[in-house]
Amino acid sequence: MNFKKTTGQSMVCLWDVLLTALILIIATITAFWFFVTVPENSANIALVYITALVLTARFTQGYLYGIAASVVSVIGINYLFTYPYFQVNFTLTGYPVTFVFTLVISLMVSTMTTRIKAQADTLVEREKLLMDAEKEKMRANLLRSVSHDLRTPLTGIIGNSSAYLDHHASLTEEERLRLVAHIHEDSNWLLNMVENLLSVTRIQEGSMKIATSLESVEEVVSEALIRFHKRFPEADVKVQVPDELLMVPMDAMLIEQVIINLLENAMVHSGSRLPAELTVTCSGAQAAFCVRDYGVGIAPDKLSTIFDGSSYNPQSSSDGHRGMGIGLSICKTIITAHGGQITAANLKDGCEFFFLLPR
Amino acid sequence: MTKNLSKKSILLIEDEENIQSFIATALKNQNYKITAASSGKEGLHLSASLCPDLILLDLGLPDMDGMEVIKKLRSWTPVPIIVISARTNEHEKARALDWGADDYITKPFGTVELLARIRTSLRHSRQMQDLSSTEPRPYHCKNLTIHFENHVVTLEGKIIHLTQIEYKLLTLLAKNSGKVLTYTYLMEKIWGPYTDNNNQILRVNMANIRRKIEKNPATPEYVFTEIGIGYRMEEGD
Repeated sequence: MNFKKTTGQSMVCLWDVLLTALILIIATITAFWFFVTVPENSANIALVYITALVLTARFTQGYLYGIAASVVSVIGINYLFTYPYFQVNFTLTGYPVTFVFTLVISLMVSTMTTRIKAQADTLVEREKLLMDAEKEKMRANLLRSVSHDLRTPLTGIIGNSSAYLDHHASLTEEERLRLVAHIHEDSNWLLNMVENLLSVTRIQEGSMKIATSLESVEEVVSEALIRFHKRFPEADVKVQVPDELLMVPMDAMLIEQVIINLLENAMVHSGSRLPAELTVTCSGAQAAFCVRDYGVGIAPDKLSTIFDGSSYNPQSSSDGHRGMGIGLSICKTIITAHGGQITAANLKDGCEFFFLLPR
Repeated sequence: MTKNLSKKSILLIEDEENIQSFIATALKNQNYKITAASSGKEGLHLSASLCPDLILLDLGLPDMDGMEVIKKLRSWTPVPIIVISARTNEHEKARALDWGADDYITKPFGTVELLARIRTSLRHSRQMQDLSSTEPRPYHCKNLTIHFENHVVTLEGKIIHLTQIEYKLLTLLAKNSGKVLTYTYLMEKIWGPYTDNNNQILRVNMANIRRKIEKNPATPEYVFTEIGIGYRMEEGD
């Protein structure tokens, strides 16, 4: 560990030395070119070296290289470009002044660039903190809505099964069947939720990255539909995919989950008997998925926060209806992790959920 | 043997008691003879002494890896094995199939689904025994017919033109209809054993087939995708 760190530092060190040398060599060549082509104006040469100093200070760590470069340039100018050539002669009039000013310039530039670099680092750091906070918030929201959403079907399962166990002797056949049917329904609901949660665990902690592979959109859509119909056998969905084979990099399980969640949302919340529509189109560098229903639409006050998972409202928990809170916030998490976008909009008749995946 | 021939015996290797009991109940009801083992070792023992017609194997066993059980079983018996696996891991399912399992079913499942898988696997094992003796019968499902002997595929009575590779793929799936064939298996059977891992070419060919035989490629009637695993063709009648 320690060893690695020192080699890393000495690598940076070596790089800075090389860079400084390179800049000075280029400056000397340029200065020499000026010296030959426009010998009457020697101010150019000083300017070339000053530029070299600024560059050195900017692209190296700390003050050392800037100062070293300024010493080298002052001596270099003296040695190469002032009479007597190829001799160091500090007795020239005003030369100590040149020396001092060059040093001052390089010190100032070094200080400034070091400060700028430090500021940039702080900015990056702050951005990371903000992202962490955002993720933390998302996780907290998710947990909150999950614990609420999980409790509801569990209550149904425990209640119905204990009613059966405690009173089975006095129940009619029809009542028994109804109890078991409720248990079945609630456990399916619970399963759907658990699958949603499981899908989130596929998104890597921290980096929010996922393992994608090139998948055929029609295959993903068809599998999602089969899984959706397993839960809602009577649901009718109109599907359309592009004529040509469309391959998109994705985690197929996760995108299936998104499609299922959106279809379920359309079915449960639209309040319409008309079939929902799922359309996939290919628009340039993106694949566009659209789930549209002909129902009541989304309440305008909820539209802006519909993907936050915050639409969960403790007061309305009595309606218990299958809070779509976690489903939609999971959709958002998944699509964001894919580098795509998801939006919801109200249409004249119904609403549409729309997501884009980069190809 | 004098035992009732219509009564097939099934060995269930599953450690979870609740799941054991529900599967046993469902199968007994359908007139299968069921024996349960709750560990891999016990399962291997029982499979050797009982010679069941089919084995249901949970991959998450307490004493040994389910894959190990498949490997041991396959070293001496072709008995159909249906693997019971959790949803999240596609690779595990594909691996189980490539190691010799016949089919898989994902937890949680209903009895209808389980019984259908068992029937398919039993039918295939019987077919395997008959296959050597008789010509393969044409595959027929809904409006699709495949006549293996003269290489003709018809949809609603009209001939469908397929390329050589497409035809090979479709017949391979049809001969194993009801079963999942993994990407690896299909690639090997069609393109030979030394093709690379990239199954893009397989997906492109499947997309072409889909466009020729399915009304809507997104809601197929004949060939289904099991993403990350392979393809399954609807059981013929």
